[in-house]
Amino acid sequence: MRRLAQWWFPEVPLARIALLRLAVFGFVVVDVLLLRTAGWYHGHADPTWYEPLVVGELLRLPPASVPLVEALRWGCVGLAVAAMTGRFPRVLGWGTAICWSWYQYVAFSYGKVDHDRADFLVALFVLPTVGLAHLSDVRRSQAAGFALRCVQVMAIATYFLAGIAKIRFGGWEWVNSATLARAVIRRGTWVSEWMLEFPFLLHAGQWGLLAAELASPLIFLLSVRWQQRVVGLWFAFHAVTYASITIAFWPHLVMMLSFLPLESYRDAIARRWRERRTTRAGPPPHPR
Amino acid sequence: MGAAATSPFGGQSGAVGPGEEVLVLGRRGRTWRLVVAALLVVGYVAGTLVGDDHWWPLAPWRMYSTSTAPTGAVSVPVLQVQVPGDETWRDTALAPRNIGLTRAELEGRQNLVLRDPAVLGTIAGTHARLRPDDAPWTGIRLVRRSTVIEDRSPTGETRERVLAEWTVTGGGRVVDP
Repeated sequence: MRRLAQWWFPEVPLARIALLRLAVFGFVVVDVLLLRTAGWYHGHADPTWYEPLVVGELLRLPPASVPLVEALRWGCVGLAVAAMTGRFPRVLGWGTAICWSWYQYVAFSYGKVDHDRADFLVALFVLPTVGLAHLSDVRRSQAAGFALRCVQVMAIATYFLAGIAKIRFGGWEWVNSATLARAVIRRGTWVSEWMLEFPFLLHAGQWGLLAAELASPLIFLLSVRWQQRVVGLWFAFHAVTYASITIAFWPHLVMMLSFLPLESYRDAIARRWRERRTTRAGPPPHPR
Repeated sequence: MGAAATSPFGGQSGAVGPGEEVLVLGRRGRTWRLVVAALLVVGYVAGTLVGDDHWWPLAPWRMYSTSTAPTGAVSVPVLQVQVPGDETWRDTALAPRNIGLTRAELEGRQNLVLRDPAVLGTIAGTHARLRPDDAPWTGIRLVRRSTVIEDRSPTGETRERVLAEWTVTGGGRVVDP
């Protein structure tokens, strides 16, 4: 029990949190302006289509209206940009978290809930608990470690619990069903439609996918180097999914960055950049 | 930074050496964080095991979780519309920029449409607000288009069924639920 408690508090460089926050808040801006815009359109839909979720009933949230969706959209952008500066990390971070959650609620209370976004809420709410974290902060912190661990656990829970949901809703026969064929028939692209001619490919894909989802928590037993490789494999899986049925779990991809030593990547890129500039400039001229 | 300073969030600083300083958490800071972690785990596991979409953000991650029979039909909803002076029903984009709703949302609220087909009429209003330059819609119908599959492969046969319909003159009616 003690070791499990300890596991939640690795000592992590604060700079990594600062970089992850940049990615997370930067994503919020891109998301509300470009990626998930259905919520904004709900401001124009008739309130008759509004179907409150449990949280909306508890908090008595109203149906969408044009002023509400505009306020939430620009609220998200303004707060997230401010949060990216790293100042007032708790006020601006939690402000962004509340605004983005509400905007997602508006998107999901019209008959369809997207299943790739709940984990990102946890990232938005938990990252501000670290407090101030500067990009050049070399100190390590257990509070940073806890926040990072929560993001990692939620990212992997998305896979693992999606596997459990398949068994709950589809039954064990899910692996032998035509679910992926159905996905390709409904949303296929030229990258995937040819697979309908070879049904065993999609059939095997179902076995592989469920196995990978149920095995996903094993990532926590791996070394950092292998964790990076596994994250690379998941990114490749998501790229293929996007090419095949144009579905991408964007916020979840940002969450997966929590497994990567971001500050080392940044330092390596900066070093390489400096070296290249020095090589281009050539050796210093000889004094006469 | 030798002296430990506690913040409301329970942080403490312990100096190890230059560049190796570690900010450790005090008992209070660790306790509330562990409580939060336990609540998250319990909430999401419960959502997955017994919850449904209405539990969001604790809803089960059920994308593509249902089993589709290897032989049968795969259906998609289609929205067809009429414009003034033209009786022809034409497919229109089931996209938020066109009707304020997505395809999946219309599918999710299919029971509402079958209970009260007049709600299709509200889509004409939304379309007019979002696309003021387009011809107004005088009729809207919800169609279910099915692709027949055998052993996970399409046979080439498609079927179409009109579920519900709304027109400016006739109002809403259920056609073939």
